Amino acid sequence: MFQLSTTTVILLMLAFYGLTFLMSLRIGKKKESVDGYMVSNNTIGFGMSAASMTATWIWAASFYAAASSGYKYGLSGALHYGLWGALMILFIYPFGKRFRQLAPKAHTLGEIMHARHGRSSQMILAGSNILGSGISLMVNFTAAGALVDVLSPLSFIHGVLIAGVGVLSYTLWSGFRSSVLTDFGQLMAMILAAVIIIPMIFFQLGGPGLFAEGMPRLTGEQGDFFSRTAALEQGAPFFVAVLAYAIGNQTIAQRLFAVREDLIKPTFITATIGYASIVIGLGMLGFLALLAGVQPLEGDLNNLIPQMAATYLPPFAIGLFFIMVIGSLSSTADSDLSALSAIVMTDVYGKNLARGKPDPTLMLWIGRLTMVVATAVGVIFASMKLDILTMLIFVGALWGAIVFPVIASLFWDRVTNKAFTGAVIAAFAMFLVARFELLPMQGAVGTLFELCAAIGGGVVIGLMSFGFFGRTTGCVLGLLTAVVFAPFAVGFLRDYPVLLSSLTAYGVSTLVCVGLSLSARKRFDFDSIGERVVAFQTH
Amino acid sequence: MSTLALTAYVLVWPVIATLVLIVLCVALYRDMRAARREGTELV
Repeated sequence: MFQLSTTTVILLMLAFYGLTFLMSLRIGKKKESVDGYMVSNNTIGFGMSAASMTATWIWAASFYAAASSGYKYGLSGALHYGLWGALMILFIYPFGKRFRQLAPKAHTLGEIMHARHGRSSQMILAGSNILGSGISLMVNFTAAGALVDVLSPLSFIHGVLIAGVGVLSYTLWSGFRSSVLTDFGQLMAMILAAVIIIPMIFFQLGGPGLFAEGMPRLTGEQGDFFSRTAALEQGAPFFVAVLAYAIGNQTIAQRLFAVREDLIKPTFITATIGYASIVIGLGMLGFLALLAGVQPLEGDLNNLIPQMAATYLPPFAIGLFFIMVIGSLSSTADSDLSALSAIVMTDVYGKNLARGKPDPTLMLWIGRLTMVVATAVGVIFASMKLDILTMLIFVGALWGAIVFPVIASLFWDRVTNKAFTGAVIAAFAMFLVARFELLPMQGAVGTLFELCAAIGGGVVIGLMSFGFFGRTTGCVLGLLTAVVFAPFAVGFLRDYPVLLSSLTAYGVSTLVCVGLSLSARKRFDFDSIGERVVAFQTH
Repeated sequence: MSTLALTAYVLVWPVIATLVLIVLCVALYRDMRAARREGTELV
């Protein structure tokens, strides 16, 4: 397999991080404002915010996972990764508008929950995001190490260290503002690379003639555009997981608080289309590899994309590919650093340690120190090559458990702190039982979990319909889905533990949240959120 | 699916990505002009 020389890789990375650093210098201020450091000026324009949203949502794993899906499930595989991931960006838009309406000056989701419920709800969101962004940082540094290791004579640890230092260097001083500004350049590089690489590999493999030659290699399911296996094993669990990720994620919320309010809709629509085109397009490389009979190196599907690039692209295009992956992982890593610093600044220091009266200068340095510590931890854990799958499952489940309580808390005035916290804890516990089969999923226990999951399916459809068409449509479609889904779910979902456990988290959190909320008589005044969530600095 | 449809299915994504690239660049140019006119910052 072709490798870039050590000099070429070092020059490419120096050029990439050097240019990014120079971009960030253009906006650097001697005295940054703490609000600007976390959410810019709340009036970012369409081009910059749409690019940043797209770049943040695409991480290095998006390419690898989409291509793996294309290779494994054939014709519809890339769609079952990229399309659902893209639609989830669109799905946040109506809820995002509500977040902005209630708390126009918010910095974190946890801060809104603090104003709505109190400390325990806030810390559930803050804690899940610290864990989620920490893991994401580690995954992105790991991807840099793996890329450098595969495509150059340098070692894994070299890649991890260069990416860690590179990302920190341009994000540290101006925080979120640097992240958004550099996202634009990074996305442009990603799109340009994808636009050149996809057709180039397609025609290298034989162009349209590849289909006549390769289609007989596919199994019946792989050749079926409406493959049931692809939908149940890839599409549905991923759909449910990214829905949770979209709602609970601070990196997305931060951009939502930063964009000019009247531009939220076009920003989210453009990011949806941008994400879909890049990720599905690169996922097609997996489908092409399947048609061409390519065997992944060492049987690892994560090697597929670098392998295709190194085998079928000329050296200059391999360099482009290298920049594309470094761009994708850096844009997500800088967003994670900005998210982590905002959470520690606002949720840990501002709202708790300083009891709502923070010192802006100290707060800013706490944010910067958080970035340094997070980078160091990310680099150390990445270099240990830990199995991150289990941790990701925990975070995904935690976010699945908070989706309904978060949304209900911001639309329904009867949801209490007890209902929120109780719902999340109950749902997470039930998730653990189903995901790791702590109880055998048979007989009455299996049926109970499948019924909870059927309700969870109704909740997913109900929430999506509610966001776009209002309460009545949401309730009717949610109930209908649960009722129609239940008979199919019983005796069937137990064979799909990932889907069963994720949907159970949705179903149980909703049942507990609604039950406890209905038993309370207190009503909440939503106007008070905007009064409690304010800017930390007025100048 | 015919060969033509399959080819379009694979190659339509880079075409859409190119359109997104153009839209974002035009939007950024407008944002920069507006920021300069109003004396504000982009981010």
